[in-house]
This record gives sequence, C-alpha cells and structure tokens, in this order.
Amino acid sequence: MSEISPEVPDNRQDAPSHVDPNSTRITKPGVKRLVLTLSVLFSLVLGFPFLWKSVEIYRSSLPFGEISEMESNPSLSFPCRFQAVFINFNSNPSPNHLQLSILDKITELTSNSSQCGACANDLALSVTVDSISSCTQTHPTDNSNYYRCGAISAVDFDFSNDDDDGVDELLESVLGVKNVYSVVVVNGGGEGIRAVVGKYRHAWIVGSVEEEEEESVLVSRVAEIFVKMFVNGGTENGLIHGEFMPVGADRRIVLSFNLLNAEPNDWVYDWDFQRVDETLLAPIIKVLGPIANISVESQVLYHTPKSSFSYWDEKWKSYIFSTKDLPFFVNSNEWHLDTSIAAGGRSKILQFVVYVPSAKECPLSLLLPTGEISKTNGFISPMWGGVVVWNPPGCLNSETNHPSRHTMSREDLQAVFEVFMGQFRQLFGLKSNNLYIGASGTYHLLPSGKGFTEWELDVLSRQFACFNLHSCATTLGSLSRLVQSLPRMIIMDEIGKLVQFSLEAAKLAQSNASLGDNESSAVSSGQARSLAEDAFFHPSIMSISYYSFEHCFAIYSPFFLPVSMHVLLAALREWKRYKQEKAKYTAWKAKVKVES
Amino acid sequence: MLADDMACNARNKYPAQVFNNENHKLNLYGDNVEVDYHGYEVTVENFLRVLTGRHEAAVPRSKRLLSDEGSHILLYMTGHGGDEFLKFQDSEELQSHDLADAVKQMKEKHRFKELLIMVDTCQAATLFSQLHSPGVLAIGSSMKGENSYSHHLDSDVGVSVVDRFTFYTLAFFEKLNMYDNASLSSLFTSYNPTLLMSTTYYRTDLYQRKLEEVSVTNFFGSVMETIHTDSAYRTTHSRKTSETKMPLQESVKHDERRQLINSNVQDQTSDTKIEDKQCPFTRRWNAFQDKLEKIERIDSLVNYGFIIMFPLLLIIMFPLLLISTWLLPTFVS
Repeated sequence: MSEISPEVPDNRQDAPSHVDPNSTRITKPGVKRLVLTLSVLFSLVLGFPFLWKSVEIYRSSLPFGEISEMESNPSLSFPCRFQAVFINFNSNPSPNHLQLSILDKITELTSNSSQCGACANDLALSVTVDSISSCTQTHPTDNSNYYRCGAISAVDFDFSNDDDDGVDELLESVLGVKNVYSVVVVNGGGEGIRAVVGKYRHAWIVGSVEEEEEESVLVSRVAEIFVKMFVNGGTENGLIHGEFMPVGADRRIVLSFNLLNAEPNDWVYDWDFQRVDETLLAPIIKVLGPIANISVESQVLYHTPKSSFSYWDEKWKSYIFSTKDLPFFVNSNEWHLDTSIAAGGRSKILQFVVYVPSAKECPLSLLLPTGEISKTNGFISPMWGGVVVWNPPGCLNSETNHPSRHTMSREDLQAVFEVFMGQFRQLFGLKSNNLYIGASGTYHLLPSGKGFTEWELDVLSRQFACFNLHSCATTLGSLSRLVQSLPRMIIMDEIGKLVQFSLEAAKLAQSNASLGDNESSAVSSGQARSLAEDAFFHPSIMSISYYSFEHCFAIYSPFFLPVSMHVLLAALREWKRYKQEKAKYTAWKAKVKVES
Repeated sequence: MLADDMACNARNKYPAQVFNNENHKLNLYGDNVEVDYHGYEVTVENFLRVLTGRHEAAVPRSKRLLSDEGSHILLYMTGHGGDEFLKFQDSEELQSHDLADAVKQMKEKHRFKELLIMVDTCQAATLFSQLHSPGVLAIGSSMKGENSYSHHLDSDVGVSVVDRFTFYTLAFFEKLNMYDNASLSSLFTSYNPTLLMSTTYYRTDLYQRKLEEVSVTNFFGSVMETIHTDSAYRTTHSRKTSETKMPLQESVKHDERRQLINSNVQDQTSDTKIEDKQCPFTRRWNAFQDKLEKIERIDSLVNYGFIIMFPLLLIIMFPLLLISTWLLPTFVS
C-alpha cells in the first residue's frame, strides 16, 4: 500500500544524492483515497437521522396534563333550590327564623354523607308563610320561580278523604317549576301529621299544629324530606353497592324478558308481550332516555328446570323454597338467557325471568327468614336482573295428563309486570315499595305510571352523571399511565381523538351541572364515559405486540454495526496515512529550503 | 379456552370425548359444555384480550368476559409450563409478567372484585409470582424446581387422562353437595403432597379475606348474590290506561301492513330511475361487460389477443430498441 514516489528526472534539478523514502517525499500526497473514505463515512453519518426517523413510532399526542387535572377533580356540583310554604298558621311564625332552623337541620343531615350529587356548596332556601290575614316571604334571589302569595289555600286540601293524586295535580299546576323542590306544610286536618311526597317535585305535610314546640318537629320533617328524598332519592347509601350502575359502557341497556316453562309436558304458557311492551314499558323507556338508550327483547323458553330443591309444606299448602336457595335458583346450564343478537359487546343486558314451575312443584312459594311467605315471589341479583315465580292458577287441584297450551291472562301479566317494575327500581338502587321510614316519621311516596317519579329521575340523573364522570376520569388516567409506560407502543390518531372528545364532553357535563341542568349533564357525562372506554379498550393497545428499545436495537445492529466499523477504521487509517505523507513532504520542503 | 389438541386429535379413538378417568364413566365434553375459544383461536394474544377486554368491535358477547366491579372470576390453567411461563399450543408462551400486567389492567378498570387463579403445570407457582393487584388469590400445583405429574394412564386411549392436581380437585368437589358450606381453606389443605408428588403453593398476601371464612361457592358453581323484592310497584291508573289503548293498537297493525305493500312498489320504480341517471362512463362499461358476457367462445378471443399482441409489441419496442443500442452510446462517448 505504500506509494512509490515517482522518478525524479535528473535534468530537472541538481538533486541531492539520494532521497529517503521513509522520511521524505518529493510530491504532494494524493487526497483521492482520503476523500473517498471520508465521503463514505459522512454519507453513513448523514443517513443515521433518516434511519432514526424511519423506525420512529407514530404516537398521537395525548393531553396528559388535562387528563391528570381531571383525574384529581372529577366532581360535579349541582345547585339545590328549595322552598317551603307554610299555610294556615295562625301563630304567624317568622319566615326568616324558619329558614334558619330548616337550614341548620339540613346541614346537620348532610354533614355525614359526602356523596357526589349532594348540594355541598350551592344551596338556596326560600320560606313563605301564607295565612288568610298576611303573607310574608324570605327574599329569594330569583323571584320568578318561587311561590306567589295566595296561590294555595287551606281549602284546597280536602282533609276528609285521602285524594292524594288530586292534591298532587293541584300542587303541580301551582308550583310546577323545574329545578325547584317544594314542601307545603298545611295546618289543619285531623290528629297527627301525615306527610306525602308527590310524583313531581313537591311534597306536602298535613297536620294540626298549635304549639311552638311542634314547630320544630315540622322543621325537622321538612328538612328530612329535602335531604333524604329530594337529594338522596330515598335510599341510605346511594346505590346498591355504592358504586355501580346497570348501564353499559355504550350507554345502552337491553331488557330481556323471558318466560320459562319448566316442564312443557305439564302445561305451556305463552304471553301477549307486545301489548305490555307498548302500554307499560314504552313510557318508562322514554322517561329514562337521558340516562340510557333502552331496548327490549322477549323470548319464551321450554324445558328449563331450576337447580335448587323445594319441599311440600302442609301449613302453607304449597311447595316452599327459602332464601337460602335463591343463590342457586338460576340454572345457568339449562337456562340459555343471554342469546341476544342485538346487544353489542359493551351493552348491559338485564334479564327478567318469569318462571312457571312444573306440576310436581306447583304452587311454589318463597319463604322469607321472618317466617312469612313472600308477596311477590321474586328476587333480584344486582347487575344481572330479576326472577319472579308465577304459579298457574288452580294448579294444585288440576289433573293434567296432557300438555295444554294457555296464555297468561291480562291481570296476571299486569301483576307480574308490577313486580318487574319494582325489581327494575331495585336494580337502580331505589326502593320498590311506597313507604319511607325516616328518623322523624314515615312518608308516603306516590307511585308514578312511568315507573319513576320526576324527583327520582332527577336523583338518578345526578348520580349517573357523577358516576360517569368519575369513571371517565379514572379510565383516562389509567390510559395515560399505560401509554406512558410503553414508550414504543403506537398510539393511533383515533385514540387521540376519542380522548379529546371525551374531555370536551366531560367539561360540558360539568358546566351543565353547575347550571342545574340534570338531563343534559347526564347525557354528556354518559358520552364522556363511553368515549373514554372506547379509547381505553381500543384493540390496538396490546403490550404484547410492541418491542422494547433493546429489542429494536438488537434487530438493527447486525446490519449496521459491522459495516460502520469497517468504514470508520478505513477512514482513520487513510487519515493517518495522509498525515504521515504530509509530514514527509513538509520535511523535504524544509530541507530543500534550507539547502537553497 | 380449549386447544382441543386431544379431543380433536386424529389419533383419538374416542373423537370429541374427554374422560377424567379410565373407566370412561364421565364424558367431560358433555352436552352442556360451552367452549368459546377452541383450536387455533387459543393464543396468548386472545387470552390477554379476553382478560383485558380489548376486542374488535365485531367480537360477539359470547367471546367476551362480561364482568364488572362485583364479579368473582375463576381462572384455571393447565398444560405444560416452566419457570415463569405457560406453554400455549406448543408454539407460544405466556410469560408471568404479561399475566401480571393483564391482571393489573383488569383491576384498574374494575373488571373483577375477586380473582382465583389455579395453575396445574410444572413449576406452577412461578407463574403468579409477579402479581401485585389486590383481590387476587392464587394456587399452583408445584413449586419452583418441581414437576407436576399426571395421575394415571388410560391404556385404551393411549395417553394419561388427567393430572394429579386436577384429579384431586375434582374429587374434592364430587364429595360436596349444594348446601355444604365448604371453605376455600379446606380445599387448599386437602391436597396431599405425597399423593400429588409435588408441593402445592398458594399466595394469600393479595387477598384480604380469611380463607376459612370464604366459601368455595364464592368462585365455583356460578352462584349469584340475591336480594328479595319486597313489593310490587303499583299505580292506580294502570288498569284504566290499558283498557283504553286496546282499540287503537288493532288499527295500527292494519296501517302497518298497508304501508309495507306500498314500499315494495316504490322500490321497483326507484330501480328503473337509477339506470337512467348513470353517468356515461358506467353506461359504456356496463355495455362492454354485457358484450363480453355474450361472447360464447372465450378461447378464441384469447388466441386472437395473443396474435395481436406480438406485432403490437414489436411496433412499440422497436423505437426504444433503436434508441438504447445505437443512439445513446453515441451521445455518451
């Protein structure tokens, strides 16, 4: 590889006697090889950023800051507007005094519950005392929605008969304003105090009160109605287990109604479900619209025995099964209930089962732990649905040797559906009966033809909105932690968009809630949760599909490492050689200069 | 999830039947058994997708784990395994850290309240060594460094029919009836190391409740939590409204039938309209396709095509050939 220095022609100059090729050279060293190797090295170095860009993972940017901000504060604050109207109190108590005492009682009752949806910050109460002679009011901030003096008088309350519905309609025509909850306290009537909560957003207490100390009883009852009914919905700890709602992640519920004939050889029952669907179920579905998109399916099944056992009891003249058998009642092997095609993967299906027992076990009754027979013969399983055992009429006496086909009568079907309605309410965390026993007394709750009264719907909307927002915040938080823990995972644009829309819907829900609009805040919080779940459960987020950085390095290094090593070595060697030859040349030049 | 490599094996003398004992009394693959993933669908990816819930939108409900915050899940895994892995289909492995990661994500998304993992493989206890999520109880048939053995050989079928851990678990449950209140600790302590030829190991550090108080029906037997319904929800208006609505519905049904007939006629007229509105390109294309369909002998068309092709090629390629061979070199040199 050493260069041969060209022959120096003798006639060109009087050269010295000899040149030492190891220390001097006469011509300039060539640069072609150096340029070649350096250019290869530089092209390799230049190509490196292109390589890096080509193995870059596409990650759509997620707003991590906003997500963590929402996760730390996923709360909704609903404003509460209450009013209390006292009618026919001749002692003329002062409204301001009453207002203060009611507010005290309310704060005492709400201090130990810290649920979302309770009026923590924004509470306004207006009190009116209206009697024949005068009418005084505390001054509310917004006058138009509140009670006008003289609109109700004591004669409207007919104390002789208990026409609660009539009174309810009358009060609704007078007081019916969205977002304001009212309690009307009337002095009159017979002995004792009777409290009724209507189907809309008001309640009334009727009682004869003359002395001062009974006033505090009334105050505590008014406060209890406000807090326990209108804010908490008549339940003690919110929902059944305090946390979950039977609504699917895509805001859909499928109600699946099943009529099970345990032994078709004895009898076969059919039902006219279409009529029930149109008359009884349609209003309920419409009313629950803001909370969930509900669809209904029904089927009739045969040969579906239950897996628990029953025994004959002479005292009750029927076959008895007890509450200990209830967990084993649903026979998942034989009952093929979840066969819905319309339900998507994320919808929630609630099963409602009517069980028609066989002739060997008819009539079948449920014995409660208290020793009584259940009036409904039904039970629920939270988040699954409900079961009702319906005994065919006259089954104890009839001798059926051949299978006979019957249709359930209208009255029987109506009765069964009333039990279903109770079970549906239980699944949502509300009570199925019409009586509430509180600390200060008992309250009658008027039932509504739509399954839920308006104040109950308000409570459900608020609890739904809270739950959805909380769930959305935790889902987005988990997603952001997961994404940050896998730096080499592709995040598609779709996921970024879903997260963004979810955050927008959550903000919309929060602003709607602070304005007091329960329905739209339930809708937008439902959308926020649904979008967040779509983002979290996106099928491309599977950690097993993505390599770590070490893995990526191990794949690419066998291609580039040997080549780059050789090129680098060659460039270094050429550079060293060039420097050597250059040194030789400068040495010779110096020598020539010295000599000349 | 069953890989069905035994039940559907071509060399299985009793196809689609799996016995737990050489007396062949009980066919485990009976009428009521519902298998959601079998054969080629049993992969590590599908398993993790089932656990975490990340399916494609079209996956049906029967192939999803439809659990929620209150569910108790039983996960029973058996097969070949080793130190921190479980073998899938003789070609893949499920690593213990992947399982732990999936369980962690399930917990974050509240997909279970309690989870029981039972593993019957060699060195089974290593598979759940990396779990950290609360509410998980795990038991393995053998510890690190130990093997798990099969119970007995069925000389008729030619393979061992059941593993020891599974055999003794089944024996425990056969002795119970519905109303026995056996606890999980009685199940876990029923395994005899000399009979199993390995030491079972279970971890309870992530599980809050005491094993003596938890019944086996907490996880086994598909037992539900129930609440009695106290009363029906009755309204006074309900009877009246149902009667008045009856006549209306019958008339509604007639109207629907009439509307159905009308819509058919409309569809036909709309079809003809569509043809007129097509653009000229599609019209010509359709005409071309009609003509093609009318040609009876396709072979002759193909032959004609070939014959036409060669001269066409020559005509096109000739100038290019000229340029490349004669003209270009003169320009370059």
